[in-house]
Amino acid sequence: MAATTESVKADAAEAPLLNKRNMFLGAALYVIFYGWVRWYEGVYGWSAGLDSFAPEFETYWMNFLYIEFVLETITAGILWGYIWKSRDRKVMSITPREELRRHFTHWIWLVMYAIAVYYGASYFTEQDGTWHQTIVRDTDFTPSHIIEFYLSYPIYIITGGASFLYARTRLPSYQNGLSLMYLVSVVGPFMILPNVGLNEWGHTFWFMEELFVAPLHYGFVFFGWATLGVLGVVNTEVAAISKLLKKDLA
Amino acid sequence: MSASQSAVRSRAEAIKVSRTFDWLILFTLFFVVLGGYHIHYMLTGGDWDFWTDWKDRRLWVTVAPIVSITFPAAVQACLWYRYRLPFGAVVCVLGLLLGEWVNRYLNFWGWTYFPVNFCFPSNLMPGAIVLDSILLLSGSLTVTAVIGGLAWGLLFYPGNWPIIAPLHVPVEYNGMMMTLADLQGYHYVRTGTPEYIRMVEKGTLRTFGKDVAPVSAFFSGFVSIIIYFLWHFFGKWFAQTTFISSEDF
Repeated sequence: MAATTESVKADAAEAPLLNKRNMFLGAALYVIFYGWVRWYEGVYGWSAGLDSFAPEFETYWMNFLYIEFVLETITAGILWGYIWKSRDRKVMSITPREELRRHFTHWIWLVMYAIAVYYGASYFTEQDGTWHQTIVRDTDFTPSHIIEFYLSYPIYIITGGASFLYARTRLPSYQNGLSLMYLVSVVGPFMILPNVGLNEWGHTFWFMEELFVAPLHYGFVFFGWATLGVLGVVNTEVAAISKLLKKDLA
Repeated sequence: MSASQSAVRSRAEAIKVSRTFDWLILFTLFFVVLGGYHIHYMLTGGDWDFWTDWKDRRLWVTVAPIVSITFPAAVQACLWYRYRLPFGAVVCVLGLLLGEWVNRYLNFWGWTYFPVNFCFPSNLMPGAIVLDSILLLSGSLTVTAVIGGLAWGLLFYPGNWPIIAPLHVPVEYNGMMMTLADLQGYHYVRTGTPEYIRMVEKGTLRTFGKDVAPVSAFFSGFVSIIIYFLWHFFGKWFAQTTFISSEDF
């Protein structure tokens, strides 16, 4: 009787396998933050974002750009540094239950990566199309670019990097080397950011028009394909989780 | 770690854990594929998809299916051949359509004030359902590529016809004959408008009138077959679980 009570208490005190609170808070963080960003674009895009030589452009848009550069660098440094510094040096000797718990935590990171990729590659990239079909640009740092290239892309790079580092430092199934498709799915979309250099260089020739299907944009397309590396990540995860659950599901 | 230890406490917990992972995987797959598919589609066929005056009977019908069969073929190559899940194409297209509709409402209309009946996305669902159904019924890559790929191209225009037909009604404006869609573009001048005038529906094929769309659809279906094959193998490559040693760097 006493032993049973102790066992139940131990179960109750144990951390849940999936921390739903963290997952929903994380998702809410992205959604609320990007909701605020979209509000900012709506208000200051039209009132201060049409003429890059105007003083208000410097106030509302260039300062936004400088602040996000600083915050992104700090966030990446702290987050990636923390995950690396707090890595498990005895990762191969954890219990199967702890491994399962870490897989769930890893999937929280992957869910955050999915949300970040959606906002970066879908929401803010197509939004850039309609802004440049409407406003003739007079700078590379347009309001939509300041959000798309220099905010939403770094955010999914930071999130993807954190997810990759978590798997590499805490999960036994990622200790055989570097998962090729994980690298592809994180590094490929990361390369979209350096490709902005080609894009902006090309646009110095064609400032007036924004033809979205122009070959100049194909670099983004090529690196966008790398998101399909998520298929390999899913397959790796399914294999690892199946191994953990196989005996109990048989 | 002991091999005899179990990660779960009971079979019921194992089932619950398995189902929870299913949802997490589906969510992640859906939104990551959505992001990749959307950036691919908007930058290879986007202008034809953004505006009704680009949705002509020739290049829209030709380009949109060819560039959009890519991700469905790749995701099918993983979901069907590894898990026997017959919804790879539908998942891709649902994701793409969600991303597009959210954008057209909140940004095209909500930020830059283009009316939604000028910038709604193309409908790819009929082709996706047929592509998945053919794979499910045949279980064959070749049959899906040849029959499904051709159907993908051929079904695109009929699948969009109920939506676009009212905007292809002819009107006379300032002495010029044009469609209502053209008229919309005339009033909503965009920075891409000069390119539109250079690219959209030019050439002598237009003089054949009614034949333009079927001929374009047939050509599109032909190219879609080839693209399906190609992207099937891309999908298989992306689905691998290879690890590389750090010594390889």
